[in-house]
Amino acid sequence: MNEPNNNKTLLANVPDAVVHTKKSFSIVWLVPIVAALIGGWLAYTAISEKGPTITIAFKSAEGLEAQKTKIKYKNVEIGQVESIGFNKDLSRVVVTAKLVKGAEKYLTTNTRFWIFRAHIGTTGVYGLGTLFSGAYIGVDPGKGGAPVLEFEGLDTPPVVTTDLPGRHFLLNAETLSSLDIGSPVYFRQIKVGQVVAHNLAEDGKSVTINIFINSPYHKFVYKNTRFWNAGGLNVSVDATGVKVDTESFVTMMIGGIAFETPVNLETGIPAEDGDRFTLYRNHKSIYEKTYQKKAYWVLHFSGSVGGLAAGAPVKFRGIQVGKVVDIRMEFSMKNKAIRIPVLIEIEPERITVIGEQPKDEDRLKITEHLVSKGLRAQLKMGNLLTGQMFIELDMQPNAPPQSIVWSGEYPELPTMPTPIETIATGLARLIDRLDKLPIEQIGQDLQDAVQGTGRLVNSPELQKALHSLNEALKQVNELAANLNTDTAPAVGTTLEQTRKTLAAVEKVLGSDSSLNQEARRALEELAAAAGAIRTLADYLERHPEALLRGKGNSQ
Amino acid sequence: MNSTPITASNASLVSCHTCHLLSRLGPSQTIGRAVCPRCGTSLHRRKPNSIARTWALILSAYMFYIPANVLPVTVVTSLHKVQSDTIMSGVIYFMKTGMWPIALVIFIASIFVPIMKLVTLTYLLVSIQRKSSWRPHDRTRLYRIAEVVGRWSMVDIYVVTILVALVKLGAWATIKAGPGAVFFAAVVVITMFAAMSFDPRLIWDAMESNLQND
Repeated sequence: MNEPNNNKTLLANVPDAVVHTKKSFSIVWLVPIVAALIGGWLAYTAISEKGPTITIAFKSAEGLEAQKTKIKYKNVEIGQVESIGFNKDLSRVVVTAKLVKGAEKYLTTNTRFWIFRAHIGTTGVYGLGTLFSGAYIGVDPGKGGAPVLEFEGLDTPPVVTTDLPGRHFLLNAETLSSLDIGSPVYFRQIKVGQVVAHNLAEDGKSVTINIFINSPYHKFVYKNTRFWNAGGLNVSVDATGVKVDTESFVTMMIGGIAFETPVNLETGIPAEDGDRFTLYRNHKSIYEKTYQKKAYWVLHFSGSVGGLAAGAPVKFRGIQVGKVVDIRMEFSMKNKAIRIPVLIEIEPERITVIGEQPKDEDRLKITEHLVSKGLRAQLKMGNLLTGQMFIELDMQPNAPPQSIVWSGEYPELPTMPTPIETIATGLARLIDRLDKLPIEQIGQDLQDAVQGTGRLVNSPELQKALHSLNEALKQVNELAANLNTDTAPAVGTTLEQTRKTLAAVEKVLGSDSSLNQEARRALEELAAAAGAIRTLADYLERHPEALLRGKGNSQ
Repeated sequence: MNSTPITASNASLVSCHTCHLLSRLGPSQTIGRAVCPRCGTSLHRRKPNSIARTWALILSAYMFYIPANVLPVTVVTSLHKVQSDTIMSGVIYFMKTGMWPIALVIFIASIFVPIMKLVTLTYLLVSIQRKSSWRPHDRTRLYRIAEVVGRWSMVDIYVVTILVALVKLGAWATIKAGPGAVFFAAVVVITMFAAMSFDPRLIWDAMESNLQND
């Protein structure tokens, strides 16, 4: 067989291929078109769903990781940390974060950011989940304020977020006394709020505590509600026994505040957000009324002020209107005299004015008017046991006319001597007068009179006279007996009459006659009186205060 | 060697893919669709529309390559901590934790090979269309390497699918495939198709026409 011939034959026998017309456009171009569309769509969504980029400055970036740490609001992821850097002077850590689209309207100057890590606060342990899932940045969108993209992050999570319903109040306290951020606020021993912040007042004289009361309890706070420090234990021992009082275990540890609205004559107006109240030291002190206005007066007492101390009450007709602030001793070089001014503080608000409220200038005029009517200050014994004195203001109608002295640092109210002083002076005068009485002379005279009378009554002449009369009567009786027969009837009647007369005389003058008796009785009583007066005079000389106190048991 | 080597297309002969019958097809008859006279299968002298198809597929692969690297490939959720990784960040993570071989494997398979394929095919297409006669032997070798190695890029995808299937430990650890994995798989498949639709014979055709024109 011939190979080339075979090949040629083979090649000659190759049939023709059948040709159909073909479309020019290849379907494969769909692939890149689809790819382009998909790529374009991805790019579009990536760009259009871009949210705002913000920077937050924190003190430290502990727990934060670039590209990983999320920003969460109510546990919903709304952003992610892109990068962490420093600010210009390396004082703060600047975190750049991207948020989801639509977050712009929550980014205002009131928006707060903080790093939420596991931490132990005063009121509990928080954020244990972040130990596993990593810290995240919490956000509290603020209401109002200008939109802004740069923020200062907080160091600790805020106690209260803006969407929590309730009210803020401010309390003035002298000291912070174991309260801290997170300390609870109780109402009827239910926790209704907490301390949010505290800072020293600008003049350094008080502490302002910012508390937040959750709704719906904030409507129980009225303008006259009293807040007091309920922390720790209250132990009181009195006649009924030992009482231990505390709000809760938590307040024993970290302190707390409680409030209640005391029932009194004022009506309850609900308090508004941001109202200021005073924080009282304990529950008892909320019932003490406190007053803002204070007026100061000076009193000068002529006598001793022994027993009067600063803090002693100043009362008007028994009701406290103020207190003694200061007592001093002054020596005036001009007069070479010692004066003891007493500075008192009056709280005019203690006197509820009915009718038109006077202005401050009018108050002074009113006081002048009262002084002209007899308003005086006096020292009075408050407590016999301790000898404490207090100052009593009262209207003395018999007071000599005086007026307010306006010279000097404080206006001076006129004073009246104390009742003790009047008693002492009166007593001295009585003793003086008693001294002047010639008591001995009187006694002597009375004694003489009694003696004279006694002598007269017991004199032998009178006895003799009576005796003679008896004898005469005897003789006359004999005569009468003798004469009875003779001139018996006439003599008898005459004798009868004589006898009657003599009996009457004896009745009058006899030793047991009424005249004698009365004379003797009068003389006896005179003697007794004289003796009594002598003993009284004696006694008074020794115990002049018996005039006041009586003999009593003060021997 | 002769200046014009004998090729089937030069001799106007076409072999059927199915029944291997030789049939005559002139060089002018490139437009239209030729059918084998015996079995009716479409006859192709060269891979049909090779350049156009390869270009289309390469462009798609380029376009998909960007999201494949930007979007995360794996999303690992472990104890509420969510971590998404792209291909590059995975490589870097393995490097940082000291597992060099794994990092190397991932880098070669997922980054080097696809890029190499794309660049190679692009170069070949450009060289053909510019009718360059630079080292045809090496170019062909280049093409063969690209075609063979290209499929190994799917290793990364297989790893991701196995991880997703195996690591379903609830809150402790859960792995999900991210969108980057889809795009990366698309890239690999498309480059595979692109390599398949590229006809290396065109290299020589271009050179021949170059020689002929000279």
